[in-house]
Amino acid sequence: MQIASEEAVVRKSVRVEVPIERAFSVFVEQMESWWPASHHIGGTAFETIIVEPRVGGRWYERNVEGQQCNWGTVLAWDAPHHVAFSWHVGPGRESLEWGYDADPARASRVDVRFTAEGAGATVVELVHSGLERHGAGVEQLRAAFEAPNAWSGILALYAEAANAKETR
Amino acid sequence: MDAALQTGLEALGDSTRMAIFQRLSAGPLAVNELAGMLPVSRPAVSQHLKVLKDAGLVTDRKSGTRRYYALDPEGVARLRAHFEALWDTSLRAFQVAAEKT
Repeated sequence: MQIASEEAVVRKSVRVEVPIERAFSVFVEQMESWWPASHHIGGTAFETIIVEPRVGGRWYERNVEGQQCNWGTVLAWDAPHHVAFSWHVGPGRESLEWGYDADPARASRVDVRFTAEGAGATVVELVHSGLERHGAGVEQLRAAFEAPNAWSGILALYAEAANAKETR
Repeated sequence: MDAALQTGLEALGDSTRMAIFQRLSAGPLAVNELAGMLPVSRPAVSQHLKVLKDAGLVTDRKSGTRRYYALDPEGVARLRAHFEALWDTSLRAFQVAAEKT
């Protein structure tokens, strides 16, 4: 039994009025020109975002001091039609700080396909799948403790644990 | 992390319940499947599941002769909403960057 897969998938598409080669190169070679500056995992803002152009290549951010933070790995590379990455950035197992998690079982997948529409336009389709692998558990905990009646649940658990210790 | 959540995590500090909770984050499981993964008896797993269920942390569903336990899909929905927003913003900016001459 799996969580209904569509629940854990994000699909987006955008049409750009440029040839497919340019669309692909801006996506993978100039990512820092469009990636939201607020979304970094290093201690300071990134200066560049690098995608190594081959299967198995790294996908990482680098700040002005030259420090690098991994985001994932290139899973498919078919320029200028398709690129796929593993995405290793998610909420931590025990804290809610987002960061890099090397465990492949905890990575989602981003597929980006580029389709030429005539000579001057390109449709870019993005599918981010397997989001449940980022530990829905932690998000679930967060939701539970943010709920208005959260404290009654927490206190019930505490009481249960305290009673169990006493009777042991 | 905010203090209330920190306290909550500590309150949920029973290691077996946390282990059950983490197993379920990968997908729904039946009681005997959980018991097979953990060094705990089946009745003990049932007892822990009841506590988690009463606290609103897991849900259960009967399928055939088995009862499956799962985390509330709300958790996944929240992650999904986060990525929806991220890719909306990113792809809009990508479009502007690509079309810039």
